[in-house]
Amino acid sequence: MPIVRKWLRALSAMIIADRRPLTSADAQGLTAHAPMRSNPGGMRYRALSDVRVVDLTHFIAGPYATKLLADMGADVVKVEPPWGERGRKLGPHRAGHNDRGALFAFLNLNKRGVTLNLKHDRGRELLAGLLDGADLLIENFAPGTLAALGLAPDELIAKFPSLSIVSISNFGQDGPERDGKLNDLLLFARGGWTFEVGERDREPLTPPGSLAQYIGALYGAVGAMQALVARDLALGHGQHIDVSLLEATVSTMIYETVSFQYTGTVRGRVGKRYAVGPFLIVTLKCRDGYAGLHCVTDKQFEALCDLMGRRELASHPRFNTALNRMINNDALLEIVEPFFLGRERNWLYREGQRRAIPLVPIPSVAEVLEWEQTRARNYFETIDDPVLGTIRVPGTPLRLTSHRAQGSRPAPQLGEHNREVFGRRLGLSDSTIDGLKKAGTV
Amino acid sequence: MKTIFDGKLRVLDISMGWAGPLAGQMFAEMGAEVIKVEDTHHFDWWRGSLSMAPPEMHPIERSAVFNSANRGKRGVTLDLASPRGIEILKRLVKLSDILIENFSPGVVDRLGLGYESVRAINPRLIMISMPSFGSDGPERNARGYGNTVEAMAGVTGLAGYHDGSGQRYTLSNALGDPVGGLHAVFALMVAIRERERTGRGQLIELAQVEALIPFVAEEILDYQFTGRVPSARGNRHREHAPHGIYRCAGDDNWIALACQSDDQWRSLAAALGLERIAADQRFASASARKANEDALDAELSRAIAQLDADDCVARLRGAGALAAPVNPAPALMGDPQLRSREYFVAIDRAVVGTHLYPGAVARIPDTPLRAEVPAPLLGEHNRQVFAELLGMTDDEIADLERAGVIGSAPRQRRAAP
Repeated sequence: MPIVRKWLRALSAMIIADRRPLTSADAQGLTAHAPMRSNPGGMRYRALSDVRVVDLTHFIAGPYATKLLADMGADVVKVEPPWGERGRKLGPHRAGHNDRGALFAFLNLNKRGVTLNLKHDRGRELLAGLLDGADLLIENFAPGTLAALGLAPDELIAKFPSLSIVSISNFGQDGPERDGKLNDLLLFARGGWTFEVGERDREPLTPPGSLAQYIGALYGAVGAMQALVARDLALGHGQHIDVSLLEATVSTMIYETVSFQYTGTVRGRVGKRYAVGPFLIVTLKCRDGYAGLHCVTDKQFEALCDLMGRRELASHPRFNTALNRMINNDALLEIVEPFFLGRERNWLYREGQRRAIPLVPIPSVAEVLEWEQTRARNYFETIDDPVLGTIRVPGTPLRLTSHRAQGSRPAPQLGEHNREVFGRRLGLSDSTIDGLKKAGTV
Repeated sequence: MKTIFDGKLRVLDISMGWAGPLAGQMFAEMGAEVIKVEDTHHFDWWRGSLSMAPPEMHPIERSAVFNSANRGKRGVTLDLASPRGIEILKRLVKLSDILIENFSPGVVDRLGLGYESVRAINPRLIMISMPSFGSDGPERNARGYGNTVEAMAGVTGLAGYHDGSGQRYTLSNALGDPVGGLHAVFALMVAIRERERTGRGQLIELAQVEALIPFVAEEILDYQFTGRVPSARGNRHREHAPHGIYRCAGDDNWIALACQSDDQWRSLAAALGLERIAADQRFASASARKANEDALDAELSRAIAQLDADDCVARLRGAGALAAPVNPAPALMGDPQLRSREYFVAIDRAVVGTHLYPGAVARIPDTPLRAEVPAPLLGEHNRQVFAELLGMTDDEIADLERAGVIGSAPRQRRAAP
């Protein structure tokens, strides 16, 4: 009987799907409720195609925020100084091409690029031309920079009421340390991510890369959407949104900040374990690398005991409840460690997952790139970059069923779209643009 | 003051843990009405375990993380293994704008809440599914949580000491979860705008691992150019030295400091009174400092170990060097910049009392975010939601309680639905 019900359900779902009439929108890439399938190899949607963004960002946090919008189809015009933003050189380089870093090429996909010297009166006039009719200005200058250029956010919004401005900065637009210096190492350390990671008797271990900058970027992109929706549903006008990278970083530390107050205990470093608690969350050495185990619930613990061929442990008085597993966490780890050490990552992954244990092999980035799951889902997109050649980049994580994805456009070369944008949108003639170029304005 | 949605958007949050609930929490911050649905048998696992304390202590109401990630929501319970529970949930679906779920692939279908079913009930509904690794592909059924997603995105493989055994370390914040939640909010906002135009809802899929992989794009690109698998750099920088974390006087006090130029090196050395080290030829240029980084770190460690951390950071900052304390929780909560901007918000929550919680990040002046509404107790708003929204009478609600379809006390676990 259950099989019949299941079959009937599947059949009725098909009938509902079949009833959908084709519309002219389909032809333009709009596919109302297309079945969820693997991404057809493209990474750009048209969902925000009515949104105009003037992008004054540089480096990572700002450009990734505008990339998220561009990937959803927003018309993002990246405005750089005539010498290029300092992030142009970011990332690994192809020999002989030090002016275009590969990370830049990733962070600025799907944007158009123009140059403007905002210290020139004419440069600011042209920027005002771009802002007229724009929905968003996104920037991550040091606080006060726009105002010093005569582009104070509140004045811009007064002049262009439908415009919202998103400012992403290290510490926010006010406060005693508004103008302080920061880099990734300091941001992680100050923001609380570092203290708890590493060996008890060694220095705390900073997270890799620029992860927290990307968190700030996400808050920036969400903030941009919040401004758009608030304008359209509630206010009728734009706002200036302030995102602090430090606060974005701290926002993810709910374990520390709130648990500490509840329990009075400061979480310290406990080596390979995530923490000592009523669970076993740990990175374990295996025969051929490391595996990550996330054993939290009673059921997961029972399954772990089964995996180890030690089912009696699940009812052992030292481990039979979450509380006991916390009290005897060291003893539990001593049992689990040698079991992992003697086995291969992929065996552990397969056998663990077969028992519904969240257990994974810890891959290198090379393995992530070649992982059969990312391949099957066409997650990485191949870009033909005009300078770097063929590169494979992470795709958009969002799959909207309302649209078909299209292939990404490479990141702009410096000033690549000056003629297109200044000509078409602002009506400047080629000779005027040439004159501006000679004057160093574009 | 006005909020973005002013109660005019209803979100049905049937997710658990952090990624999905964070998305619901952020909609509550925007003034949406967010209804969190839990099962009294299979309540949100982030509430923790019943075995942690005697029942009269209400252990599942004492989870710091649950109480953070479910702020601002109304809490109801429904037995999702019973046809009556599912029927009531479907009535809520009909009245909602958004449905958030982060079960493993296939679970919502088994519950009869797959997208085709909910669309038939409510074509304006926007549904987001947040499987760890995707709803298709050979690994779709693999179980993932914040930490395992972090690993599969390639992050954990990069986290280790520069001189270490190869040991890899999980980050401190289950990074996959907040990243998934933030992406979900972004996606839902895009879909809400689109629905304003088209009148139609849609299904969005967000594979959490795919949300995190872009964060290591630099290393993925580097591998493509060099063919070398990037190794863990610990606290060190690819080009600059010093760049690390050094112990100060006291028990477990550390500072982070970095130099990106000769000028910064000179001001750092002057600020700490390290003239002898500054004059050392081994450290005279950026490339020399990088080449002799072990010796440099040893010298710096010796010098800094005697100093008070706060004083050391103040002196370094005063000299224009890059320095910060390595903050454990209490210091983090006392950070002068965060306090000045009133980042943490005080919330009085039943059972646990008043504490500070991280506030909303985006400052939106005319439609401010509200992060200071407490998380619900299990089933706290059953009566309110079922009476107000579904028009149930007291008798009907009492009947559901008797039948175990709703409730406010956790029940013994039994097999999953």
